[in-house]
Amino acid sequence: MKKKKYSIFFIFQIVLSLTAVLAVLLPVFFSRVSWPDLARNYLEYNGLKESGARNLVSSIYLGYRAFDTLGETIVLLVAVSGTISIISHSGLSLAKGFGEEKSKKQTYNSISGFNRTELLDVVTGKLGPIVLIFGLYLMLFGHLSPGGGFQGGVVVASGIVFMALGSKTDSSTWLQEAGVLAKIEATGFLFLILASLSGIPGGFGFFGNPLSGTEASPVIYIIILNTIIGLKVGAGIGFMCIAMLGKVE
Amino acid sequence: MIERILLIILFLIGFYGIIAKKNIIKKIFALSILNSSVVILFILEGSKIGTNAPIMEEGVKNVVDPIPQALMLTAIVIGVCITALALAIAFRLYRYTHTFDIDEIHRKLHDEPF
Amino acid sequence: MTILILILLIVLSLYTLSSRDLLHGIIALSAFSLLSAILFYILYAPDVAITEAAVGAGVSTVVFVWAIRSTERKDKG
Repeated sequence: MKKKKYSIFFIFQIVLSLTAVLAVLLPVFFSRVSWPDLARNYLEYNGLKESGARNLVSSIYLGYRAFDTLGETIVLLVAVSGTISIISHSGLSLAKGFGEEKSKKQTYNSISGFNRTELLDVVTGKLGPIVLIFGLYLMLFGHLSPGGGFQGGVVVASGIVFMALGSKTDSSTWLQEAGVLAKIEATGFLFLILASLSGIPGGFGFFGNPLSGTEASPVIYIIILNTIIGLKVGAGIGFMCIAMLGKVE
Repeated sequence: MIERILLIILFLIGFYGIIAKKNIIKKIFALSILNSSVVILFILEGSKIGTNAPIMEEGVKNVVDPIPQALMLTAIVIGVCITALALAIAFRLYRYTHTFDIDEIHRKLHDEPF
Repeated sequence: MTILILILLIVLSLYTLSSRDLLHGIIALSAFSLLSAILFYILYAPDVAITEAAVGAGVSTVVFVWAIRSTERKDKG
């Protein structure tokens, strides 16, 4: 009797949750209202003139909706610091330079503890700088072609992971150390705040383009912001990935 | 129309995975699938009113709506941060209880005194 | 073309959630990200395609493999 009651309640729960989900989703998925094109028309005619960037997506997340970018950098900061602090208190010895090391007798062969083969060293060690250069290209040319701060930042982060996987002990670069990446992320955040406040003395408001009235092209501000965001995102995600490549005891 | 039905099926698969799977890593898989399905919905809806990518070269007209794309960039990066944080918590739970099964974790955390 | 890719995405997501070995699920999730990056390119969104490819097939897979390698790999019992 108890089992029968449990199963009826269980079925009732499933039906109730499914009804709630479908009641929220069905008006969204089956609406016949057409997508409004007022914003697209405005941006198609005025986007290039007002911000100077040919890539309209860059002009949106750095010019018209820059608050979302600021919020995203704050979320990235919180998530990276939360992940590092949760891992480093669990008794796991991280990569060299992070957290506390449980036993000082262990010497690290390299930054990761599993079996290393020559294939891994050659492929990832030689391919790492190429990926970093590609990420830097995406960051700097984000206003002319597909690319930008976020895109270049995540490609730089995967390039940092490549170089960390492929390095032997005597040829590790300065990009892998904990202090360097944390400092890059912190200075990137500081420069972002400074760049966002730089439009206020000219009367353009918070995140306003300080070059929009002068003869200099307003695209220089977009390039500077792209570089800052790319460095910050790349250093943050690379920091999180390198800290996870430590040795388990 | 058919694409929206397929996307709602993808959303429901992710939703089912979060609720009904017993392994924590499977739940985190389902969280990532849920995130991806909403991103695909926004980009799909924004691409119906144009025929060109939003890069204003010479003589490019009738571009796709660029605003959903700018918002989804932020959403993808935040999604990977959430996945990494959830995996760190799952890892910590494993170090304490030596299992990934959610029923056993619940039993162990409520039986043993701290 | 988009309908075909969406059907493939549904099949991959079903395989991810029902595989016995967690490493197979991670590889299927990486293929899911690659297919959705191709879908974004078809839908005239190159910026989102670059970000999804670099994030899904790069950083997310690394984080999942890290969580698996120092713990267990089997599922369902």
